[in-house]
Amino acid sequence: MDPILTFIVVLIGFYGLSTSSNIIKSVFMVTIIESGIILLFLNLGNYQGGSIPIFSEQVTSIVDPLPQALMITTIVIGSTVTAMALMLSIKVFHYYGSIEWKDVLGREELKL
Amino acid sequence: MIFIPVYLVIIPIFASLVIYIFKNKHMNYLALLAQAVVTVLAIVYYQHFSGNFEATMFVFGGWDDRIGISMSNDALSLSFVFLTVFTWWMVLLYTFDKGNTNHNFIFFLLFLEGVFFGILMTNDLFNMFVFLELAAILVTILIAFNKAGNSFRAGIYYLLVNTAGVLTFLIGIILIYFTFGTININVITNLMPLYGDELIIKFAYVLLMSGIAVKSALFPVFTWLPHAHGVAQSAISALLSGLIVKGGLYLFIRINQMYAAANYDYYAFFFVLGALTAIVGVMFALSQKDMKQILAYHTVSQIGIMMMGLSSQDVNVYYGGVLHIFNHALFKSLLFLGAGVIIKVYRTKKVNEIRGVFKTMPWVSIFMIVGMLSITGAPLFNGFISKSIIKYGIQDSGIKYWTLFIINIGTATSFIKMSQIFFGPQSLSYPMQRKLQNFALMSIAFGCIILGNFYIPINQGFFGIDLSYIHIFEFAKFFDYFLTLAIGYLFYYFIISKDKPPIPNIRNFSISFEASNIIFIALIVVMTIYFVLL
Repeated sequence: MDPILTFIVVLIGFYGLSTSSNIIKSVFMVTIIESGIILLFLNLGNYQGGSIPIFSEQVTSIVDPLPQALMITTIVIGSTVTAMALMLSIKVFHYYGSIEWKDVLGREELKL
Repeated sequence: MIFIPVYLVIIPIFASLVIYIFKNKHMNYLALLAQAVVTVLAIVYYQHFSGNFEATMFVFGGWDDRIGISMSNDALSLSFVFLTVFTWWMVLLYTFDKGNTNHNFIFFLLFLEGVFFGILMTNDLFNMFVFLELAAILVTILIAFNKAGNSFRAGIYYLLVNTAGVLTFLIGIILIYFTFGTININVITNLMPLYGDELIIKFAYVLLMSGIAVKSALFPVFTWLPHAHGVAQSAISALLSGLIVKGGLYLFIRINQMYAAANYDYYAFFFVLGALTAIVGVMFALSQKDMKQILAYHTVSQIGIMMMGLSSQDVNVYYGGVLHIFNHALFKSLLFLGAGVIIKVYRTKKVNEIRGVFKTMPWVSIFMIVGMLSITGAPLFNGFISKSIIKYGIQDSGIKYWTLFIINIGTATSFIKMSQIFFGPQSLSYPMQRKLQNFALMSIAFGCIILGNFYIPINQGFFGIDLSYIHIFEFAKFFDYFLTLAIGYLFYYFIISKDKPPIPNIRNFSISFEASNIIFIALIVVMTIYFVLL
């Protein structure tokens, strides 16, 4: 895949973040931005015909291992953020009875 | 000796894990022990390396420094470390005294300390990203810790806005990696003359800076800050205002040091951004009625003043900006902690409903007044020193000087409004005397006064900068201050206290989450046009 295409995924994520009025959709858009960045980084570190970065005698050309190491960390952090955000959106739904941003930000919480 | 930065990160995190596992009330005191160990280690480390900061650089596992993860320190990062240690002491003492020593709360609080040390001392861009994101997650949990509807709302708002900001920071890191082939800040600094003029590196600068703008709550993207600070517990608000937001400004300094050889003309842009931040923050602060919201918007405006200082070519003004970070950390955490005590006793946050605080709790009132005098820039208190340095440096340029003057009047007005809580008869009794809480407030108040009076030897010793050109006892300084107060009082009496038309409109002004993201993207576009295309 072309790096430009993955950058377009990032831009789609930002577009969605600035148009979606729903908390769950916003969470997904952040995830999409994150996936786009991960694909972008892996793509830039990759090239055609390079083999996996595990040291052995026969292998002569390997892809850059650093992006892969870094992106594993990013995936872990991203899943944490998604889990946190989904948990918080459930709580927000319990307290406000809605997951639309305009209802949540403009309204007092429901008395349970 | 050289591995002490690792211990500073590990010890709080490890102690917090032990506290979390044992869930024992006595085990909570391990937090204080860990804090004491961290304090001693930081002091030993500073004494060993002061004057020879190049030696603090080390790479984990003995790798080549272009590949391995490294840590390093300088006078700036170590002074931030000491500020962190001090603030965490005060917040821990304050929390322990409130009686609800919830082990979960202590766990997240201590964990955040370790992560924040990581942000300060790392020499690796990707590590910086990891620590930033971890800090964002932990702060979200701490904001939502009250388990009320509005704290969950503020938590998710904070988390999503900050994650979007940190992810743009990550794109910047990726672009830098594919130009330089390394993410070690020292190596990049040395290689910067080679690649500084390339478009992709300029674009990376824009992305890094827009991430930092979200983190440090600059003008168009500060909307998360009042949400978060208004609803969090007072100890957490103090921590957020005092330190976590300053993490963004620290990164601003670091990234600009990294780009020093590229010679970008960022001064004018960030000065305007800082001035706008300060003015908008003061405007919103004047219109608020909620005590914590007032303080939160003042954090925004003070960050604007720091940004005005930091984006200056004059070394003295720049140093004034750095010094204002420290001074603001002291007096704003003092104000938030004091406000927390008052709110807890009066059970309301509305400024017009709280009266007679001075009669009810004289000590807390005195410490609050010290904080208020500091933030308005009264001579003999610490806010005066850094504001004077900035004012002294920009007094030749008329428009800059008057901008700062207007901001000072706004600050004075809104603290005159807030000081109304002290007047009036004693309305309720305050039976509990919380010694540790008062001790924490008193230490910060002493810090304010000491930094405001003995600034020459302190700054000479720590940063090696001579401030003897700032004189406290000058008629003009006192005249300036009282003039500001007088104008502020008139402004308060005739406009703010009557709640005239523009004030309620500003108070009720709010923007949606989507709009704040559009504004964030607009900021990136504007910065791209300014830095890359022009």
